[in-house]
Amino acid sequence: MPTTVTMPRLSDTMEAGTVIKWHVKEGDTVATGDVLADVETDKATMEMQTYDDGVVAKLLIGAGDRVAIGTPIAVIAVDGEDASSAGAAKSAAAAPTTAAAAVATNDEAPVVVTGTVVMPSAHADNGARARISPVARRMAEELGVDINSLRGTGPGGRVIKRDIEAAATRKGSGAVAAPASIMPVVAAPAAAASMPVVAGPGSREVAVSGMRQTIARRLVESKSTIPHYQVSMRFNMDPLLELRKMLNAQLEPQGVKLSVNDFIVRACALAMAQHPYFNASWAGDRIIIHGEVNVGVAVSLPAERGGGLVVAVIRNADQKGLRQISLDTRALAEKARTRGLGPEDMMGATFTISNLGMYGVDNFTAIINPPNSAILACGAAVERPVVRNSQLCVGTELDATLSLDHRVIDGAMAAEYLTTVRHNLENPATLLV
Amino acid sequence: MSTVTVIDPTMTATREIEFRDALREAMSQEMRRDPRVFLLGEEVAQYNGAYKVSKGMLEEFGPRRIIDTPISESGFAGMAIGAAMMGLRPIVEFMSWSFSLVAADPILNNAPKMLYMSGGQFGCPIVFRGNDGAGGQLGSTHSWCVEGLYSNVPGLKMAIPSCPEDAKGLMTTAIRDDDPVFFLESERMLGMKGHVPEGDYLIPFGQAKVRREGTDCTLVSFGRPVNFCLDAAAELAKEGISCEVLDMRTIRPLDIDSIVRSVRKTNYCVVVDQSWSFGSPGSEVASQVHQHCFDDLDNFVHRVHSADVPTPYAFNLEQEYLPNARRICEAVRSCLYRA
Repeated sequence: MPTTVTMPRLSDTMEAGTVIKWHVKEGDTVATGDVLADVETDKATMEMQTYDDGVVAKLLIGAGDRVAIGTPIAVIAVDGEDASSAGAAKSAAAAPTTAAAAVATNDEAPVVVTGTVVMPSAHADNGARARISPVARRMAEELGVDINSLRGTGPGGRVIKRDIEAAATRKGSGAVAAPASIMPVVAAPAAAASMPVVAGPGSREVAVSGMRQTIARRLVESKSTIPHYQVSMRFNMDPLLELRKMLNAQLEPQGVKLSVNDFIVRACALAMAQHPYFNASWAGDRIIIHGEVNVGVAVSLPAERGGGLVVAVIRNADQKGLRQISLDTRALAEKARTRGLGPEDMMGATFTISNLGMYGVDNFTAIINPPNSAILACGAAVERPVVRNSQLCVGTELDATLSLDHRVIDGAMAAEYLTTVRHNLENPATLLV
Repeated sequence: MSTVTVIDPTMTATREIEFRDALREAMSQEMRRDPRVFLLGEEVAQYNGAYKVSKGMLEEFGPRRIIDTPISESGFAGMAIGAAMMGLRPIVEFMSWSFSLVAADPILNNAPKMLYMSGGQFGCPIVFRGNDGAGGQLGSTHSWCVEGLYSNVPGLKMAIPSCPEDAKGLMTTAIRDDDPVFFLESERMLGMKGHVPEGDYLIPFGQAKVRREGTDCTLVSFGRPVNFCLDAAAELAKEGISCEVLDMRTIRPLDIDSIVRSVRKTNYCVVVDQSWSFGSPGSEVASQVHQHCFDDLDNFVHRVHSADVPTPYAFNLEQEYLPNARRICEAVRSCLYRA
């Protein structure tokens, strides 16, 4: 039997992929491990390998075509096999040429498992029958839930009733009538779904990248489903800036330069030990407190790379010193701005920091990066007239604003967490040990 | 003849009597009402019944209608079948259904087939009744659950009450029924007390009763294990699992409509049957649920039966052998993917 190659799931938020370039053509002989194509996901362009030996019998979509995960994209026949027997696969593919038609609804189960690149879904590869209970299949039809994008929680990945109910709830009010406001359809981007936009004279249209769609979808989902609120605090940065100046002077020969942000990452990560709910996710009917402290740092991308932003993840940030945090952050930011981050660089953040201080911003609020429960928005450290010991003087201060998921974290908890962060930052020697 | 009323579910009785008293009331009321009805069996007359079900009946109805038999099940069951064919309405008491096995030929090979084989010339309006299932350390030969074996035979009816009120209403219906009725009681339930109406009333065959309403899982049972199901449902309620307990009351005929109605609501079904699993009423119920509710099920029908071994004598093993509340709870959690 020829093998049908389907669009793989290459990241945990991926719903569709674009074949940027085919590395093979029909008739080519391929062996396991050979690169078939470059595939652009929502966040990165990656190489796609074959897991079968044989001859490329058919390419079912062209370069530039965007299709939903699970869609057949090529057929590989073993030597001597009649490639035409793959005809069924071809007709089943119906290779959509417009992105709007190809993109599927994403109703993936809440992400609590991270670290695997290819997630098993209800549909096994090669068009195998979906594992789904009868009532779940019926409910999926009634509620308009796409079962192909679901990961079942029953035995062997079976999609069961509660998975459909959860997916329907995520779709909004659990009804068919909710036309997927979070669905990433190019023709009607999520961010503009509620208001038609008319292109007037002199206006121009900009094609939306996969990343831009992901940003739109995830942030609409975050802002519309998470009960956000903000708590701000102002930190005295004078001791920290003094320490940083001294350290950087001493570390210069070693090529290490600590940023203010590195101190903030460490201060936040250390505070997690005392405040585990800041390292947690709301999971529908329970709260998951994560075992690792992985701090995400928002990194903006240069216009020549298409702009946008990604979240680079500093893993086990609570166990890393300032030097390592600094090196990791620089390496990831450099990679993001040049080659682009891979899924492994972006998965598994449990808390996120967004810092616009370098742009001179005083303060701002950020939108939570699901499935995190909090994000810290940091402004610049600026000199201000301040009152210290009843004396008016000049001091350097930084405004930070936490955005919080009220399902997980209450206001008093947020205040306590910020107090711990302030203690860490205002007594910066504690960050050295 | 006295007035007959079909029992109204809202009917409430304030009087509490034992299961054995309810059986006796049904038999006595029918014997007063219909001179064709009589009772025979081992020790039913002078000893007042091995389990005192027929206590005082010899005194009221005399030795022509309350008949002590020798220990000869095949003989007295066959004789009673002949009497039924000739127009009487016998009630045959087996001290235990385990002892009916020696009467298998008359009760299975003759009674249920008589109407068919005689082309409608002879019916067989007879009630066979007695204790069924583990009675409490009686050993494997005296602890039979015969419903798996006997319900397989076309032409008979089978009633298995779980409470005194049903015992009386189902027994009255059994005695008036024109077909052979296999009436399965339990030694463990004879002392169970419950509210029982005083007059005569009929509980129609093939009408299940919802013993507890629920939304998350349908528990289907009959006879003694219905009470295990109610215990399990109370336990599961503490975990936030709401079980609907259906008491089938008769398994031939089987009220599949009530089961379907409940399973369409809950999407999960656990069948609890104290007979062995292979070729049992429980497997038949599961099969029919799969047939009628295929698109309503979120998991296959789970079954809780007695363990597939001869009934153990040891107390602890016998308790574990039965489809007890703990095993039911485990099956429900597993069925609901909450194990």
